[in-house]
Amino acid sequence: MTPLSHYLIFSGVLFSIGLTGAIIRRNILVVFMCLELMLTAANVALVGFSRAQGLEGVPVYDAQVMVLFIMAIAAAEVAVGLALIVAMFRARRGVESSSLTSLKD
Amino acid sequence: MSTSYLISASYTWGQFTPVFFLAGLAILLLLADAFLSRLSKQAFPLIAAIGCFLATCGMVTGPWKNPYGMLAAGSAALCLLLAFDYRTVVHASVAGGDREEGSGELSILMLLATAGVVALTRARDLIMLFVSLETITLSSYALAGYFRRNRGSVEAGVKYLVLGAVSTGILVMGIAWFFGTTGTFALTTRFEQAALSNPYLCIGFLLSLALLFVGIFFKAGAVPMHTWIPDVYQGSPTPVSAFLAVVSKLAGFAALVLLTLPLAEMHRISAGMLKPVMFALSIVTIATLLVGNLGAIPQQNIKRLLGYSSIGQAGFILVFFTGLRSSLRVDTLFYLLAYGLATLPLFFVIGQLRMQRGNETISIFRGLGKTNPRIAFLTAVCLASLAGVPLTAGFLAKLTSFRSALMSTMPGAPITSALMVVMVICATAGFYYYFKVLRVMYWEEPPEDDLKVHFSALSTGVLSLCVLGILVLGVCPMLF
Repeated sequence: MTPLSHYLIFSGVLFSIGLTGAIIRRNILVVFMCLELMLTAANVALVGFSRAQGLEGVPVYDAQVMVLFIMAIAAAEVAVGLALIVAMFRARRGVESSSLTSLKD
Repeated sequence: MSTSYLISASYTWGQFTPVFFLAGLAILLLLADAFLSRLSKQAFPLIAAIGCFLATCGMVTGPWKNPYGMLAAGSAALCLLLAFDYRTVVHASVAGGDREEGSGELSILMLLATAGVVALTRARDLIMLFVSLETITLSSYALAGYFRRNRGSVEAGVKYLVLGAVSTGILVMGIAWFFGTTGTFALTTRFEQAALSNPYLCIGFLLSLALLFVGIFFKAGAVPMHTWIPDVYQGSPTPVSAFLAVVSKLAGFAALVLLTLPLAEMHRISAGMLKPVMFALSIVTIATLLVGNLGAIPQQNIKRLLGYSSIGQAGFILVFFTGLRSSLRVDTLFYLLAYGLATLPLFFVIGQLRMQRGNETISIFRGLGKTNPRIAFLTAVCLASLAGVPLTAGFLAKLTSFRSALMSTMPGAPITSALMVVMVICATAGFYYYFKVLRVMYWEEPPEDDLKVHFSALSTGVLSLCVLGILVLGVCPMLF
């Protein structure tokens, strides 16, 4: 059986890629994909923990329910987020975060 | 591990009645928006405000008693009244001209977010906390970018979306590690203590706490996650800025209280175990105070100024958390009440001035002392309360914050002394930037052709009531 640490390392790597991408990429669509990657990383960790906490091969289902909640909310976030990105594209013909400069003192 | 099932099943349907009421009203209004095309869109904010007000009354005493939820629903009612007061701009910015279509959802989204806040105040485990927090966040994304033809509003929406989603990712990772180290999602002292005293799990548990705090600091507006505040307050529609400044911030602090109370209990049982947590919270508090109060000094845009001011005030609230004392629940509530009473009326004034004087710089307050002496006086009381002048609620709130720092459980530690010094500096800076607005109102000569600003009876009434509340709480706080 694969030990828990492998899942945690995988989830940590996914999370770091997502966080780094969200900070350094300029295209809002790519940033958004990186954000989804962060949520996926947490899901991997949750499922891994749910298996590891279980007794006699039965996982603790609380964590898997949480994964379903996270997926549902991630889907809602994508719906709202893509709508905002479309509005942004209409307003300024581009989705680069470097063009977001109209709000300053 | 199997006991976790017992703990997570401690909710009853009844205690969520106010939430169902608010969410049900939102759905009814959504249906009315789609099918009752003859119903004027002006009625939407009014109906929603009445619904929030009823929910507030319902949570005063009895089975639904919930002080945080009450404050949230009451503030949301005022934000909805502000949306009604501001309706000409809403109509013009959404559909263009005098047409009203598409402006009903503003009230509906605010109602849904308020339902999220009330649910959050009732949460006892991380699943509930996460779902209700995301209900607020998702509604707020759409609210911030509501004026979709306006560049500023869309930009505010996108910035809020990106930073909000980062904080969601961090929060979710924290929840995963919390589950991994404690074996439950419930926020209970027993399991957290077990995790902390186990040398294998201790690091993982502290990591999960750090991630959870950072994820929630986004809502509360504390330092690592504060960068969105000035931009989003400036770009969002004014009623939405008010909502984010008061209701959404209250949600952040309610979540922080939920997260911190088990830690405070643990700290009471065995002091010293949580030294690293207290140290980290003190660092965050100092940074928040400095960024908010010093950042506010050079601001010229009034909504941006209020954004930095809200970061600064969040710093003073965070002081309650650094000591990990169980009185933090009440202290935070009082501070948030004082803050809300002073901030909401300022947004009413800004809304009216913005409509009639055309921009959002501090100079729109020019000569208000001559043209509208009564409004100028009421505004001055609000600003004085935010700065912390005696005889106002803001003074007592700041006093509690200072006393909490003095009575901190780490007396004499360098970090506590540093915190005290920073608090004094920041309170002084507050006097400077709030009174900058006061100076513009009373000492700046208005141009000859400046007209008297017309304030609707609604905004004057709300302003007077809030100022009355500030003064009554400031003179006899035992009423609280």
